[in-house]
Amino acid sequence: MSNTTSQAKNQSESRLNVLIIDDNEQITKMISSFLDLSNHDCTIVNDGKDGLELIKTKQYDSIVLDLAMPEFDGYEVLDTLKKEDPSQISKIIILTASSVPLETVKKFKELGVSSCLQKPVDIDQLLSKITSVTG
Amino acid sequence: MIKIKQALFLVFGITSFIMFYIGLLNYLTTQDKGMGLIFLIFSSIVAFGTLFAGLYISKNITKPIESLAQRMNEFSKNNSIKKISVDDKGIQELQSLHKNFEDMANIVGGALEKEKQLNLKLHEIDTRKTEFMSMISHELKTPLMPIMGYLQLLKKQELMGELNEKQLDAINEISISTEILQKLIQDVLTAQKIDLGKLSVEKNIVESKTLVENSYKAFNQICENKGTKWVMSLKTTEMVYSDPDRIAQVFSNLISNALSFIPEKDGLIEIGTQDNSDYVTFFVRDNGVGISEDQQKNIFKKFYQVDTSSKRKKEGSGLGLSICEGIVKALGGKMWVDSTVNQGTTFFFDLPKAKIPIERFQSFKNTAKSKKMISKKFA
Repeated sequence: MSNTTSQAKNQSESRLNVLIIDDNEQITKMISSFLDLSNHDCTIVNDGKDGLELIKTKQYDSIVLDLAMPEFDGYEVLDTLKKEDPSQISKIIILTASSVPLETVKKFKELGVSSCLQKPVDIDQLLSKITSVTG
Repeated sequence: MIKIKQALFLVFGITSFIMFYIGLLNYLTTQDKGMGLIFLIFSSIVAFGTLFAGLYISKNITKPIESLAQRMNEFSKNNSIKKISVDDKGIQELQSLHKNFEDMANIVGGALEKEKQLNLKLHEIDTRKTEFMSMISHELKTPLMPIMGYLQLLKKQELMGELNEKQLDAINEISISTEILQKLIQDVLTAQKIDLGKLSVEKNIVESKTLVENSYKAFNQICENKGTKWVMSLKTTEMVYSDPDRIAQVFSNLISNALSFIPEKDGLIEIGTQDNSDYVTFFVRDNGVGISEDQQKNIFKKFYQVDTSSKRKKEGSGLGLSICEGIVKALGGKMWVDSTVNQGTTFFFDLPKAKIPIERFQSFKNTAKSKKMISKKFA
């Protein structure tokens, strides 16, 4: 699994540290270049397990989480966080291509997930959700 | 309730007792004791004979009937019966009853088993279809995400660097096609959900006029640009059970359709509401080319295109109206059309009024799965 951290060029108040957990490299690359251009820091992991490791060791302002991943999926990440570190759940933005039924969306909301977006997402909307987690 | 066994015992028992009693009475009262004795012995033999005959008949009638009842019970539980050898010495009619029941049970049981297998197979196919569509949904939407994301990024010239006019044109063209592709994928998926009866809709209490006003505003600019007369007429203030996002989708499909069929000059589109007893009727009316009666029968079918000639710019998947109907049905309403060729078309749909208890709308139970044709309530 490749971890890419975009280098912080200058420190500013509004600079956010975002973790992206998604197995599709083209999507993660696109989101990270957009965040990079918008002066935010971004870490990418391609699997839920690696994501959990990072959430445990580092502090993120916002976490973008894909649901369908081959090894350790988004649901498992949510389950683990619910048991081990529920305070992190409010930072999570679910970004999924599968159509999520309304009941499931409601369950995510009850769990405390910040928002649930469908791929393909408007990147400005994604950014506004990312900033609203901390704002 | 009475058992045959008891009835037979009663009848034969009383008969034999009466016979014996008559013989005895005769013997006691008659002058000729010799004849009386003979008659008594004779009547006693007949009485005992009757008793034994009764026992024999009861055994041979009730036993096969009881066993038949047992086998029927077994059949209704298991849909199959065990083969048993029927006694040849029994009553013939009852034996053939057994035999006929056995034949019938085997035929019906076989048919039921076949149906069960078929249902299992259908269920399996249905599950696979759903899984496949969910997979396709994921696979089609995923590559769209970087395409749309990078297009959006490229348009942010302050971040990505300036583009010349030709490059901007190219990017806009890619954007338009990408959006069409996205809508198409979305439509196919929505139609699929409607087919499976899995379209999820919210049933919130909403003002009927808000639903119309939102769509009126959304298309205001487009109609103005096209020079179309754009009218809203609200005849009721009732609240309805609805899902505003889904109804916006219905209006959007209907209005987009109307826009592609109205004349270039003096085009007119009117949207609004009417009161209709337990329902509020919403409508989208246009003065376009109209739909012939033959075509009206098919327009709600999937992939049906009314006009395949060059009269209009052909676009869309032919899924729009079937999706509209599916959404309206899932919300407990109906959809229908009224049209005259060369004069115009009006699409109507009902939504249940919120003041009526939701249970009264039976159709809430059967969701969009039902494939019945639109009922032409006002036709």
